[in-house]
Amino acid sequence: MKVNVVAFANFREILGKEIEVALPAGARLRDLLDLLAKSHLGLHEEVYEPTGALKDTAMIMLNRVNIDSQGGLDAPLTEGDELAIFPPFAGG
Amino acid sequence: MMIHIGAEEIPLEEMLSQARRPEVGAVVTFLGIVRDDGIQGMEVEAYREMALAELDKIREEALDRFDIRSVDIVHRVGRLSIGDDLVAIVCAAPHRQAAFDGCSFVIEELKRRSAIWKKELSAKGDRWV
Repeated sequence: MKVNVVAFANFREILGKEIEVALPAGARLRDLLDLLAKSHLGLHEEVYEPTGALKDTAMIMLNRVNIDSQGGLDAPLTEGDELAIFPPFAGG
Repeated sequence: MMIHIGAEEIPLEEMLSQARRPEVGAVVTFLGIVRDDGIQGMEVEAYREMALAELDKIREEALDRFDIRSVDIVHRVGRLSIGDDLVAIVCAAPHRQAAFDGCSFVIEELKRRSAIWKKELSAKGDRWV
């Protein structure tokens, strides 16, 4: 399956603005992040605490809804999903 | 009413002129500008679709909560210099207190909830804030 990843601010500088990623069926958010981290230097450190927990400064939305309500890192992915990753908002 | 995110200059005169209506007796404008904090400028980025949808919600909430008649919000993106306009909110109401309260509510919620980011550009290095 293919999912679309959009990234902003420091995450855009690491990942690019928008990328399409192919994943095996049944993949979860954690698998996607691990795959991206293999090919994008610095991503792992920006996303994970040394304990393996998600950093507070890594906001992740799956189809524009925060992943906290969708199973967090275990959120299941499906074809055509949009994952957005960015730091805490800082407009105004 | 206007809700916009773009690189072009903020059309403040047009926003103010749209806010003028017979039942409006008070217009409060918040204008955020790029401050010299020892930086050379700023780069502003938005997740446009998400930010526009949230700004729309914030406007609806303001219209529900306060006795106001209109709210216009324009936020700039792209490369900005010291002194450039960054964000403008124009809030119109029959009376001043509601206009002040509505405008204050909108800028506080915008800062907290809209998918917009700023990078400070300086000789010492660039930094997302």
